[in-house]
Amino acid sequence: MDALINRIRGIARDLLREGKVDVVIGFEEGTIPFHSRPCFVRSPDEADRLIWNSFCENNLATYVVKRNERMGIVAKGCDTRALLELIKERQVIRDQIYIIGVPCEGMIDRVRVEAELRNRSIQTVEVREGTFLIMGKDFEKELEIKEFLYPSCQVCTRKNPVIYDELAGEEVEESVGETYPDIESFEGFSDEKRWQYFSEEMSRCIRCYACRNACPLCYCTECFVDASNPQWIGKSIDESDTALFHIMRAFHLAGRCVDCGACERACPLGIDIRKLNRKLSKDVLALFNYKAGISLDEVAPLATYRPDDSEAFILEP
Amino acid sequence: MAEPKIEKWEPKIVAFLCNWCSYAGADLAGISRIQYPNNVRIIRVACSGQVNPWFILANIQQGIDGVLISGCHPGECHYLTGNYRARRKFALLKNFLQFVGLEEGRVHFTWVSASEGVRFAKVIEKVTDIVRSLGPAKKLVKRI
Amino acid sequence: MKAKIIRKKDISGFLDRLIQAYRVYAPVMQNGYFLFKTIKSGSEASLNYHNTKMSPKDILFPQSEVLFRYQLDKRGVEIDAPAQDERDLVIFGIRPCDVRGIQALDKVFSKNPKDPYFEERRNRTVIVGLGCKENHNGCFCTAVGGGPCADDGSDLFLIDIGDEYLIRVISDKGEVFLKGEDLPDAETQKIAFAAVVAEKAQDALRPCVEVQGSEDILTQRFNDPVWDVISEKCIGCGVCTYLCPTCHCFDICDEAVNKEGKGIRIWDSCQYPLFTRQASGPNPRDTVGKRMRQRIMHKFVYFPDEQGMLGCTGCGRCVIECPVNLDIREVLNILLRTGAAR
Repeated sequence: MDALINRIRGIARDLLREGKVDVVIGFEEGTIPFHSRPCFVRSPDEADRLIWNSFCENNLATYVVKRNERMGIVAKGCDTRALLELIKERQVIRDQIYIIGVPCEGMIDRVRVEAELRNRSIQTVEVREGTFLIMGKDFEKELEIKEFLYPSCQVCTRKNPVIYDELAGEEVEESVGETYPDIESFEGFSDEKRWQYFSEEMSRCIRCYACRNACPLCYCTECFVDASNPQWIGKSIDESDTALFHIMRAFHLAGRCVDCGACERACPLGIDIRKLNRKLSKDVLALFNYKAGISLDEVAPLATYRPDDSEAFILEP
Repeated sequence: MAEPKIEKWEPKIVAFLCNWCSYAGADLAGISRIQYPNNVRIIRVACSGQVNPWFILANIQQGIDGVLISGCHPGECHYLTGNYRARRKFALLKNFLQFVGLEEGRVHFTWVSASEGVRFAKVIEKVTDIVRSLGPAKKLVKRI
Repeated sequence: MKAKIIRKKDISGFLDRLIQAYRVYAPVMQNGYFLFKTIKSGSEASLNYHNTKMSPKDILFPQSEVLFRYQLDKRGVEIDAPAQDERDLVIFGIRPCDVRGIQALDKVFSKNPKDPYFEERRNRTVIVGLGCKENHNGCFCTAVGGGPCADDGSDLFLIDIGDEYLIRVISDKGEVFLKGEDLPDAETQKIAFAAVVAEKAQDALRPCVEVQGSEDILTQRFNDPVWDVISEKCIGCGVCTYLCPTCHCFDICDEAVNKEGKGIRIWDSCQYPLFTRQASGPNPRDTVGKRMRQRIMHKFVYFPDEQGMLGCTGCGRCVIECPVNLDIREVLNILLRTGAAR
């Protein structure tokens, strides 16, 4: 890990020293355990603020949109997929960013760790080879990293950056195959069971829009929720309005969501948001043979068509 | 002697018909005096590709029991590719709404051309039957 | 001051009796975290927690509240106020930082013009506070004039003294509330022990920021570019404001379906980009730096100026839940030390 951190710092330092970028966006130490956080480094001497560890969970791609500076950006697998989509959608110019790719083996799910510790107070955490040690006021616990990865990291099939200018570390082994076992099993449930699950998850939503704001692909200056002429949905926590918010946000991300999991992590109430997005990703793959965040050359699925697209859903009298 | 009125629920169905094909087809059915259930309320749109998923969801929210979108057959779109775009959009939307638990028969998509008055009537009959069997809209309906 | 004793194992039964006559809100564990919920039985409540995910402000100031309903008919318009629950409220096991949050809301909603919706509930609410023995990583109540066992604002205040809770009777409302219960008076040594517990908890919270005198420095630094530097990583998610016990910005919307409709008040957030956008287009707070500045200035300058108390209670929810770890304690330290901002 230290070699990787030094490499990242070295690349950042050189970029800033040579004036190739105005800012390097990366991660720095947080103020509380289990939190690393985004940082913006603008001078070579500050490059030592940059770190890399199993708490670098934010998707930094969200910061490149509508930014006029030339940017270096430390990007893990999912971040680079989001960057690729943003480049495709012309929200950032490729030449404007220098992507420092970091192969990633997943980030630690602090919410599940806290639940595992039954909410006992955590004082420090130390990450080791494959495990992490938590120290509390009167306890110590060592856990396996692999057992406590975020749900999005557990199913990740693109741990290595898909686009980069320089790779800061050794590529890691990829899990092979795009599968959606969680969605398939959910599809096997009855209508009523699916509806009940969905309603229960939505009943916790407080319409804070953290999911939307954390998502790198949600960059509209005026979101459909803010529209008043016409007003598409009400803004209260009415169950119908809340359900439609999530349905439509997911639908607006159809074929664009890269399953980075930032939405799920930002949600303060732990709502299962990704299930909706993954269903659409699965269908986009099955119907249009397209996966978001992989290729710059493939046109977005809803911006094109094929004469032989599936008509299975069309009603025949 | 007036027959006593019996109140029985009848489904309310909204149909978005593209101006150049489906709407003309509905017109033809009317002119040809082909009978079809009067549960449907028709909204004319320029093209099936114009139909925003919000139109469908807003209808469902307001308690409409069934929604139909009908456009030109693929290859015959007045705007050349509008219905191709719609086809992709609605393939996804139909699966998605079903996934979250909305009854499968609430939202329908079909192709009806300007010369297919008979077909249009058959489509409306089929959609009305399906929606009637599902009962009044309950899921996603907004209660004031 | 009067004090009573209740055994921990008797709490559940006590709550069961309360439920007969009151709407009882207590901390309930669900999905791995705690929230204040109305309980139907005493066994649902748990006092073995740091703090709830959402502050209990939504008991008195709900996320969505119907202000009125209307119906159009041939004769005209019929307007109705929403039906109110007849039972009084008890907020049981609320932490001192959250009680202070209610005091902040009192300043806003109970002043002229009074907010009838808030008032109606507030007047019928009994607050049973719970002292903290341990803090979590975000806590800083002592830095903003509060404390883990600060009992002002509560009607009754519980302190954990082992197998029992000492109940400090703070207000007349609290005394009347306990009249029906046959609880033993607390012996002097238990009262003294509770004071020791409180002091220990207070000492355990190392001060992390000095808020005294901050009003002047913050006002001086109003136009300082440091605000943009500090808040660059903020993604405007608004979670800090939604979870905060004192934040109270709201929006009012009208919704209608055919001939009936309602007016609703919902939470809003000064951290949203469109919060200050005007109808004709201009937006005075169009950058993240300006919005963050507003948040800090409001809590530490404007609110104290207008209401005589800080707008921050040190509960630490914004610290723990912020997706990018924008730590308000760190922000204050940067601003107040006139040192280099990172």
